[in-house]
Amino acid sequence: MPPRKPKSGKSSAGSKGKGKKIQTQMEKQDLELSNQDHPEYIFPMVLTSATQELFDCQADEDVTGESPYKLLEKDDIIQDIKTRAAVSDFSPVKQIVLDYPEDELLLVYDRDFTYGQSFYLVLTPEAKDRILNPPKPEIPEVFENEVVKTPEPKPWIPLGSDKEIDEEAFKESRKKLLYKFSRVRKKFGVPVCFSDRNTADAKDDYLECASYRDSRFSIKQLQRDCGIQAVPRLQSSSAQTQWKFQKNIFTQYTPRELSVEEKENILHLENLKNFCNSVTPRVLQALQQEGIMNVFFDDWKALGSAAEDGDWAGKVSEGLMLHQAFTDQKYTKDKKICSINWHPTIYGVIAVALTDKKKEQLNESVVRASFILFYTFADPSNPQLLLECPDDIFAFEFCPSDPNIIVGGCVNGQVVLWDISAHVTCLQGTQPGKKVSVNTDVCDFNQDLDDSKEHKTPIVRYCAVSALESSHKAPITDVQWLPTTFEVTRTGLPVENMYNISSQLVTCSPDCTIMFWDVRVSKPMSHSASEMRPNTDQKTPYSTPDTFKHLDRTWKPLFKVFLPKIDTSGEYAPLKFNLEHYNCNDNTGRNTEANENGDSSKVIPDYSQLSVPLAQTLNALEDVNTKLYIGTEDGEIIYTDWKLGKDDSGRMQSAKPLHCFSIHHWLVNTVQRSPFFKDIILTMGSWNFAIWKEGVMDGPIILSASSEQVCTVGCWSLSRPAVFFIGKEDGSIEVWNLLVKTSEPVQVHSNVTNAKITCIKPWTASSKQHFLAVTDDIGMVRVFEIPKTLYVPSRSESLNVKKYFELEEDRLKDFLRREELWEIQKKKAEDLKKRTELDKPVNSLVENEEVNMKEYNDYLMLEESVLKGMGLWQAPAYTQDT
Amino acid sequence: MAGTKREEVEETLKRIEAHKGVIGTILVNAEGIPIRTTSDHHTTVQYARLLRSLTMMARSTVRDIDPQNDLTFLRIRTKKHEILVAPENDYLLIVIQNPCE
Repeated sequence: MPPRKPKSGKSSAGSKGKGKKIQTQMEKQDLELSNQDHPEYIFPMVLTSATQELFDCQADEDVTGESPYKLLEKDDIIQDIKTRAAVSDFSPVKQIVLDYPEDELLLVYDRDFTYGQSFYLVLTPEAKDRILNPPKPEIPEVFENEVVKTPEPKPWIPLGSDKEIDEEAFKESRKKLLYKFSRVRKKFGVPVCFSDRNTADAKDDYLECASYRDSRFSIKQLQRDCGIQAVPRLQSSSAQTQWKFQKNIFTQYTPRELSVEEKENILHLENLKNFCNSVTPRVLQALQQEGIMNVFFDDWKALGSAAEDGDWAGKVSEGLMLHQAFTDQKYTKDKKICSINWHPTIYGVIAVALTDKKKEQLNESVVRASFILFYTFADPSNPQLLLECPDDIFAFEFCPSDPNIIVGGCVNGQVVLWDISAHVTCLQGTQPGKKVSVNTDVCDFNQDLDDSKEHKTPIVRYCAVSALESSHKAPITDVQWLPTTFEVTRTGLPVENMYNISSQLVTCSPDCTIMFWDVRVSKPMSHSASEMRPNTDQKTPYSTPDTFKHLDRTWKPLFKVFLPKIDTSGEYAPLKFNLEHYNCNDNTGRNTEANENGDSSKVIPDYSQLSVPLAQTLNALEDVNTKLYIGTEDGEIIYTDWKLGKDDSGRMQSAKPLHCFSIHHWLVNTVQRSPFFKDIILTMGSWNFAIWKEGVMDGPIILSASSEQVCTVGCWSLSRPAVFFIGKEDGSIEVWNLLVKTSEPVQVHSNVTNAKITCIKPWTASSKQHFLAVTDDIGMVRVFEIPKTLYVPSRSESLNVKKYFELEEDRLKDFLRREELWEIQKKKAEDLKKRTELDKPVNSLVENEEVNMKEYNDYLMLEESVLKGMGLWQAPAYTQDT
Repeated sequence: MAGTKREEVEETLKRIEAHKGVIGTILVNAEGIPIRTTSDHHTTVQYARLLRSLTMMARSTVRDIDPQNDLTFLRIRTKKHEILVAPENDYLLIVIQNPCE
């Protein structure tokens, strides 16, 4: 290449000349430095533009980034070096270039300055080759390798097993021999004749080919393993079996029985005795186990049921809660309530009898109307029905078989009957759920005594009163219906009740009589009654039911029971009485039929058609308890029989009372049987109460202490056998629970009302609603709701109460017995004392004297000894000197 | 002799009957026919028939489980009372007892 020296080259050379020096110095430094960061065969260098032109390797013109390689002739470089000597760019590599074996050197344009300069020279030819001809990248020869070759079968290398197989294999050692037998042709088709021949006859006729051991060769018997498989032969097959067992069954229409003789025979057998002997111990043990304890009793469950879980949602009221209060301004002014009854069938209906407070009649001419008021829950301030009474009523009762019949006892001794069947709808209409409009329509029919515009309370007049002359002479204080289970005859004999209706009642009065009444027509009176009937028709202007027309004003009691005193003359004045309700256990066919007929619709008999049956036609009931407990004016409790007995003169006379106890000190106001026990009676006098057991004639089994307040009335709870309520004079109610405390009440609700409590009656409306109606002296009726604690009986309460009563009974008997014993002992002690007192004074005198003498003698001796000691002893005249 | 045997039997049965709570006793022979009873006829026949089959079944159950075993006593406790059945080789004694509470 001719060297060219362009101007630019010069200038650059010039400038570069100076720079070259620096550069050469720098190159040297660079060399030193670059030795460190570039490989040995690479020599970075800077080429001036003159050099670049010279060698045609101008940057970015001849060599670019893409083709950075330039081969330079070695000779050219050497010439350049010679030409420019120190100025040449190649001077630092002069020696290397001179030593370079090949002719061409590689110059690489280092655009990116990887080795520090813009160009670099490759110093070794191998590197040159390498750079110029970079080895081709290794293409992965994957495809060739991964071609799946089918595995070629390898030649089998015998390892000795083929010999064994050869040995085991069965090969024919020689060709099979073939023998062919055939008959001569000419003998084919020749008729054959057979004959019998016995082999045993001709021994030689058969040829035996017996086996023999040939000595020429011996066949060695080899043992050969042979595999055998026993395969069971499977075969499908089916069979059918019967599903059910055949069993003997028999039916029998009548049970087999043994005749009496057969039974006797069997009973005499020996083995029966053995059986009994062996079986009895087991049975007795089992029976005893049963008696000891109940193994199946679930204590856990019982614990839960006693606590009564479920309903205790927050408010648990322990005491009586006021449910409603009834009063009526018009009718109850200046009146007190003497008697109260719940309607037996209609829910929430109470009837109260009002009487005048003032005992004297001011004016006999002015007949003050007395009423029995009916209240219902729905209307607490207005009575729904009024029963008009001829006079004040002290006691009244609903008929148990027909709740529309009400009987009342008047203050003048008459017995009054009402029939409210026409007005029952008035009471029923006010039941919850029924419309009131129906109620008023029906009520409008009746005429009223008082025309109150707002509200017409129907008044029912009484349908019958008893005859004045044959009634009681004193106010009737107690009325009871006889239950439907029996009735009584004229002599007091209890007989069967054919119709199962209550048609008889008992009244008592302080005129010392108890009267039995019958509401049916009595035969001897029928004529006079029918005569009298038209008269009474004219007299009664009001519409009254005809139910008891036959009785009106002519009614006489069946019989009377007098109560003569036991010890003295005179009679008891009964105030309250109680008879035992008889439950017939054997329901004979007749009774049940009657029940079935009458169950769906209560057959209300027509009383005027019924007549008192003759005593002979009815069967007497033997086991009816005909004894009454009666409480009198003087505080005595009498136990008497109502049956009339014949006395000496042949007349029917009341028997003398069996027992009389003076327990209470004043009027007896309650005689009530417990609803749970037939023989437990509660009687209440003025300051205390007593519980009696029928049959125990010695006294009350429980007698309470006297209380401060006068007890006015008492009643048993209907659901708990141990609970009863007492009303007091100061208007408080006491709740007694015999199982908790026997000496004081469990709860006292004081100031229930301001006045004296006159009546208490409990009622069970439903299983959750138990009411207690309390009436007082000022005419108010309060209905309380009995809380759950008081109406739910505790576990086995009735059993516990029974046990308690028995315990008390035993205690009483024991006490009485002891009393007797003490009496006897006391007497004995007194006798003994009397006898011993006579001897005592004599003995004591003698003894005393002896003692005194002895003391005196001792004193004398002492005196003697002392005086002798002092020398003052003067011998007494009569003693001897020592 | 027969008379005394009879009396012994009677006495034993009376002892059982007099126990507290016993309502009735029935003595049944091998075939299920009541021999002696203290309750009414209808009840007796019913009890004898039903309890005999039940006892037989109970006994066969016991013996199936263990042939050396045998039923000695069967007690059925019901809501109202307890029935005790004592089987022996030939006879069956049924006692009905009220529980103590």
